[in-house]
Amino acid sequence: MERKQIEEIITDYITGNCSEQQRQEFELFLKNNPTFNQEVEEMKLFLTGFDDEVETSSAMDMKFYSMLNAEEKKNSSVSIFEKLIVVLQAKLVRQLAYTFAILTIGFFVGNTFNSNDNTTFRTLDFAQNETEDVRSQLVLALLEQPSVNKRLQAVNEVSKLSSVTEKVTSALFSTLNSDTNVNVRLSAIEALSNYTETPKVREGLIASIKYQKSPMVQIALADLMVQLQEKKAVKSFEKLIKEKNVNASAKKKMEESIQQIF
Amino acid sequence: MDTLSDNAIMLKVKMGETFRLGLLYERYKKRLFGFFFQMNRDASLSEDLVQNVFIRILKYKHTYTEDSKFVTWVFQIARNTNYDNYRKDKKNRHQDLDTIEYSITTSETIETEITKNENVSTLQLALKQLSEEKRELLLLSKFRELKYKEVGEIIGCTEGAARTKVHRALNELKTVFLTLEKR
Repeated sequence: MERKQIEEIITDYITGNCSEQQRQEFELFLKNNPTFNQEVEEMKLFLTGFDDEVETSSAMDMKFYSMLNAEEKKNSSVSIFEKLIVVLQAKLVRQLAYTFAILTIGFFVGNTFNSNDNTTFRTLDFAQNETEDVRSQLVLALLEQPSVNKRLQAVNEVSKLSSVTEKVTSALFSTLNSDTNVNVRLSAIEALSNYTETPKVREGLIASIKYQKSPMVQIALADLMVQLQEKKAVKSFEKLIKEKNVNASAKKKMEESIQQIF
Repeated sequence: MDTLSDNAIMLKVKMGETFRLGLLYERYKKRLFGFFFQMNRDASLSEDLVQNVFIRILKYKHTYTEDSKFVTWVFQIARNTNYDNYRKDKKNRHQDLDTIEYSITTSETIETEITKNENVSTLQLALKQLSEEKRELLLLSKFRELKYKEVGEIIGCTEGAARTKVHRALNELKTVFLTLEKR
């Protein structure tokens, strides 16, 4: 080995930069060449000999530990503050999330209920239609009964219907024109008066005037015509007045009505 | 707990277990103090600088990673602390005579103590005559834990360059010491 190389290895050796193998090799070399031993010791001294026994003061320790303590306190207070913020934020976020979730659920639930309502309305409508149909049939059936009470009941049933079919109205008109009982006929007028917006009903009412023999019915019709201000009815009344066998008070009533219509 | 490596302890400090820094302080205070003292020969200033190193450790603990070797990292900080102080105190640097005695306490016999003291004083004088850079290199490489690679990392050069530099600095110290002894 060259001198310079050896010097470099000594430096590596004393600074702890040798690998395990290099160290063993060098120690073997020192055993074989003891003259270098002194040089190694010398170099070691140069590197480490100047301050091996430094002592630090306890004041330094005190200073360090009070600094560390203060730092720790600061950290813990900061971390408590941070934790609080984190917790609050988490709470706020959670609250917002819950609110949103509830709103969303509410929206969907409301929507489903709404659509449910629609279907129930639809089924209700359907059911209602069905009952109307049944009622109409009932009305028609009852009107043909021989018992006056049944017929009266039939006419009363009509008022429970929300809308009437042509069948029902024509049945009512035939009742009005040909029923033997006055009360039934009066009830029919009453029932029909609910549907005077329909032109056919009005015409039917006017047409039925000439068939009426009973003064009660005549008076009821006259009242209704005044109420409707139906001018077309005037002719029918005038004809009726001219007929014989007309009750005097009914006549009087019809004349008054004609005056009122004009 | 004492068996934990420096690196493991520092990672715990980084995670918030600040109190563990005390352990690292106990392990490193002498080495750091010695480093500073050899650089500036001022005991109280060196103690302050040791304190500053640990303040910086806390301040920059987030930069410490698992890959960092603590001894390298701490001497990088020590070096920066020393430089910052040097720049700040460039004008009023002084040598306190008492401080030379500060570092010398031995339990050996008086005779060898005197010889050793003489040698130590001469060595310190020699060291003082070296450039700041060389002095620093020697102080760093005298800790056997710091290999050329780490010394290079601390002073900012390659492993090979660190080896050459350390070698040269040690030789120069030897030469200066021998000339001083001859006088």
